[in-house]
Amino acid sequence: MSTLQAEDLYKVFGRRPDEAVEKLRHGADREELRAGGTTAAVIDASFTVEPGQIFVVMGLSGSGKSTLLRMLNGLLEPTAGHVRFDGQDLTALSPRDLRAVRSKKISMVFQHFALFPHRSVLENAAYGLEVQGVPRKEREQRAVEALRLAGLAGWEKSWPDELSGGMQQRVGLARALATDADLLLMDESFSALDPLIRRDMQDQLLELQKTLKKTIVFITHDLNEAMRLGDRIAVMRDGRIVQIGSAEDILVTPANDYVASFIQDVDRSRVLTAGAIMAAPGKGYDPADAPATVTEDTPVIELFTPCSKDGVAVAVTDESGKLTGVVTRERLLAVLGEPMKPTAQTSMTKTAKDAVPTPRGEGDEPVKKVSTGA
Amino acid sequence: MPRIPFGDWVNDVVEWLLSNAAWLFDFFKNVFNGAYDGINWVLQAPQPLILAGIFAVVAFWLRGTVAGVLTFVGFAFIDSLELWDHAMMTLSLVLVATIIALVISVPVGIWAARSNRVSAVVRPVLDFMQTLPAMIYLIPAILFFGSGAPAGIVATLIFALAPGVRMTELGIRQVDKELVEAADAFGDTPRNTLFRVQLPLALPSIMAGVNQVIMLGLSMAAIAGMVGSEGLGADVNEAIGQLNVGLGSESGVAIVILAIYLDRMTSALGTQASPMGRRALAKVRAAHGLTVWNYRPRPEVAVVGVVILALVAGGMGIFGGSKSENPVADASDVGQGKKISIGYIPWDEGVASTFLWKEILEQRGFDVQAKQLDAGPLYTSLASGQIDFETDSWLPTTHAQYWKKYGKQLDDLGAWYGQTSLELSVPAYMKGIDSLEDLKGKSATFDGKITGIESSAGMMGLLKDKVLKEYGLDKEYRVVDSSTPAMLAQLKRAYAKKQPIVTTLWSPHWAYSDYKLKKLKDPKGAWGKGDGVHTLSRKGFAADNPEVGKWLKNFKMTEKQLTSLEAEINKAGKGKQQDAVKTWLKSNPGVVDKLAPVKKSSTAGGKGEAARPVNVAWFPWDEDVAVTYLWKRVLGDRGYKLNLKQMDVGPVYTGLGSGDLDVNFDAWLPYAQKNYWDKHKDNLTDLGSWYSPTSLEVAVPSYVKGVKSLQDLKGKGSTFDGKIIGIEPGTGEMNLLKKNVLPGYGLDKEYKVVDGSTPAMLAELKRAYAKKQPVAVVLWSPHWAYNEYKLNKLTDSKKLFGEGNTIRTIANKSFPSKYPQLTKWFKNFKMSESELGSLEAEIKKRGQGHEEEAVDAWLKTHKGVADRMAPQ
Repeated sequence: MSTLQAEDLYKVFGRRPDEAVEKLRHGADREELRAGGTTAAVIDASFTVEPGQIFVVMGLSGSGKSTLLRMLNGLLEPTAGHVRFDGQDLTALSPRDLRAVRSKKISMVFQHFALFPHRSVLENAAYGLEVQGVPRKEREQRAVEALRLAGLAGWEKSWPDELSGGMQQRVGLARALATDADLLLMDESFSALDPLIRRDMQDQLLELQKTLKKTIVFITHDLNEAMRLGDRIAVMRDGRIVQIGSAEDILVTPANDYVASFIQDVDRSRVLTAGAIMAAPGKGYDPADAPATVTEDTPVIELFTPCSKDGVAVAVTDESGKLTGVVTRERLLAVLGEPMKPTAQTSMTKTAKDAVPTPRGEGDEPVKKVSTGA
Repeated sequence: MPRIPFGDWVNDVVEWLLSNAAWLFDFFKNVFNGAYDGINWVLQAPQPLILAGIFAVVAFWLRGTVAGVLTFVGFAFIDSLELWDHAMMTLSLVLVATIIALVISVPVGIWAARSNRVSAVVRPVLDFMQTLPAMIYLIPAILFFGSGAPAGIVATLIFALAPGVRMTELGIRQVDKELVEAADAFGDTPRNTLFRVQLPLALPSIMAGVNQVIMLGLSMAAIAGMVGSEGLGADVNEAIGQLNVGLGSESGVAIVILAIYLDRMTSALGTQASPMGRRALAKVRAAHGLTVWNYRPRPEVAVVGVVILALVAGGMGIFGGSKSENPVADASDVGQGKKISIGYIPWDEGVASTFLWKEILEQRGFDVQAKQLDAGPLYTSLASGQIDFETDSWLPTTHAQYWKKYGKQLDDLGAWYGQTSLELSVPAYMKGIDSLEDLKGKSATFDGKITGIESSAGMMGLLKDKVLKEYGLDKEYRVVDSSTPAMLAQLKRAYAKKQPIVTTLWSPHWAYSDYKLKKLKDPKGAWGKGDGVHTLSRKGFAADNPEVGKWLKNFKMTEKQLTSLEAEINKAGKGKQQDAVKTWLKSNPGVVDKLAPVKKSSTAGGKGEAARPVNVAWFPWDEDVAVTYLWKRVLGDRGYKLNLKQMDVGPVYTGLGSGDLDVNFDAWLPYAQKNYWDKHKDNLTDLGSWYSPTSLEVAVPSYVKGVKSLQDLKGKGSTFDGKIIGIEPGTGEMNLLKKNVLPGYGLDKEYKVVDGSTPAMLAELKRAYAKKQPVAVVLWSPHWAYNEYKLNKLTDSKKLFGEGNTIRTIANKSFPSKYPQLTKWFKNFKMSESELGSLEAEIKKRGQGHEEEAVDAWLKTHKGVADRMAPQ
């Protein structure tokens, strides 16, 4: 099974990185180290990504998410810790073997596309195969197929600078897909695109994922994007992962004030689903009376109209149609209201802190402004 | 502060390298020389205009129609300036230097781009190479690589390397980091990343570096002229050395044309070479639409064009350039290198028969010297055995006196041409004058003059002593001694203007076929009976050389053969007699075998010291130009090949010391070049002085009144602005002036000697002279400035400038053993002031690039100089 596992990853830039890791393990603060001239980019990151999952790492710039991503394919060597993929410890491989793994099993999509301007679209898409040493004819065939998957059939002979941003990133995506790698690393891949195009690309990625079932690690600073794409989401701050969970977990039970402030601008009504907020049905509840019956993954925004019509709770069923819970009008309002005031007194914050173990030495303060994009 | 002996350390390192790493430098020298010769050979082979066509096609392909046309015009212009050969030499030098520079600089640049440490080390080295004054490494370059192309290439290389490295490093470092990371993320190796991503993207920058390398190389090529690199640089150097701005700028413009061409082509190549550049270009063309002006052929078309032209050029090179010297066929090599010298008087039949025999004997494997002499010296030389034979004795009458005197020491090999006659002739338009008697009383018509030939000629004696007296003309007419060419020139001039003239002439002579002349009848038979033209040899020559003796005894020529050969020689002009003979022999096949029949057996022979070319270094100073080209001509006639290399003083001594150069004719010793001589004297040999005395002096224009001696300068500091315009600092004369002369006359407080250069001094003199401003300059004699301007040499009553230099011939130490014959000639070589002066004037008159013609012309009027210089 090609499970991706990160174990206690540290990355420290500057002098004597090993010493710095020791200090961090013994509870030293990031700021202390910075005074000494070393920068701890990633601190004690551990997670597991199951095959076929989209794992989103979310955080602001400087939170260490790009560094973390680059340790996963060995572009950066971890100062401490291990990366395991497909049964191999990547951190223990020789540069040569590591290159072989990168060329065959892991591919990457970049924020600014990183297309080679001196190569045509086809040549760009075929690049990874060229590195693998695939004969020209075969690699061009596979590149054409990858371009078709990415929605660029017919553009093979064009040049990168003749394409729009979204199309360029499709080339980047095709380049990554062409190698048939199991693991796809996407570094803020859609951040440089216009909002509408970004949405298209997200849809396309989800569409592709349905058939391709790749293991994807997706980096973003855009919470909505994270929520949309992520099967699981890791929130990073100052080099540490502060919370890992599903979109609902993070929205409903933010691990701390930081996460809470991060998610405050999110349109919860679109992200939260009926399944996440439903309660057990009350006694004598009859689904036949309900104003509507929805499935667990229905966004809560679709519950407003039925709830407003009738006092009876909306019924929630699983895929087979069996009743699993209900959403009452009160519950609906409460859920939307709760995290809107992420100040210390609110009960919700406390609940959140209980729900997820607070990361070591974290002095959370409200974040003044969070850029969540669209 | 202690004195740090940095200079000594450098000297030690240089010494050590010279003694321990010579093999390495020799290796590089050979590589450089080989590459240079190869490229130069290719560029020199085709006809200039065809190569210009090839260049134009390349421009057409890379940049379009306008560039192609301009290229052709530019290169044709270079050709019309008669600078083509030199331009191609410069181009070869730059190309070799560029190729080597790229081979070094691109990898170094790549390395520096990938390692900050290497970059940190390389950068100061590049700064050093680019800013160190060129002269500092030019001279050592000679020590290590010898003068000429290799030293020029090294100097160019050092200067031009830096931009190649810098632009390569910059180009690679500027490649978007994300792209390199992408390559890395897909598992590409560093090496493939370099070739797949970094180099293609850095290409425009690297090509800009190439462009810079070429530009700097070209600018350096001019300076490389100072160390004897052939080409335009040497021309510029020479022209500026003689203050000839016009000629200097011709060479300068040729350099500029080369520079612009190379610049435009490399930058166009830069865009062509990278796919992005090609696309940008295609876009621009698409936007403007296709017209004649920006039409560019596709590469295939251009290649076809170049190939066709190259084939044409190659074909012409093969068929047109095959006039190689006839190698001696084995069977006919009778002489096996044996030396034979033929003397001749520059009379047409003598010249014709002498060069005919020279050619024949050379074809038969003899090493033949043809020496031009006056009649008197000719017989003396023949009698003393210095000359083997001559073909132009008019016996029994004309040369009777000589035969009487020397006949016992000579052998008569018989007459080869029948009846001749001597006479006075007048143009046919002189009515009523048909015989010698008719001249009587007509002296007013002829201005009382009979235009004669060389006074030593037998017929002149006959004319003066006998003929004129017999007809009673000796009171009335004066016989003007001159020379045969002068007589013929007079005749030609008068004939053209239809003026009366009476000349001494003889038959056979081509003048009778060119002009309508009347031979004046000699009813009294005063001229005597007609002579036969005899071949005379030294006693015993026929016994020593039985074959040749037999050939000469059987030698016969008809009037038709002789006059046609004379006409051919006359047409070809001086210095090309032998070529004319060759041409004539071609149209008269079989003559050689008839005159010199051979049996079918023999072997080839060696050629001795003349087989080795002699490297002669010369300064662009008038006396050296004159003497060097004179020797080149004289020795060329004697089968030597002289490679002339124009250089500055320091490089010449260095080159002579290292044995890279063989000889220089312009050493001013013991004073002016003392410092150089002292430094290298262990490796040099002095072949004696050929001109003396010279003098060093301060000179002022004669319009500056009251300044006749150095003492007169005292108190006139304000007149001269307190300045004496000097030449290159560090030269012997400048040192003498500063250390001895000025203090000696108490002028050192009042005057400052301005350091500069000889051209700068001459320019200043010219400027001041034109404005009649007072100026005092450092000068020396002989110098053309004394002919050009009216200058007073300030007398040096205390003799502080020393007793005067002599101009000496100096050579590498091993020269006497390598060239014993030349050493003898050089040691005996002398030139008088009037000879040198007239030769310099002739050269100056004809201008740069025509030195050889000037020497030929001068030798015509200075007969015997060549034989005096190189007798056998």
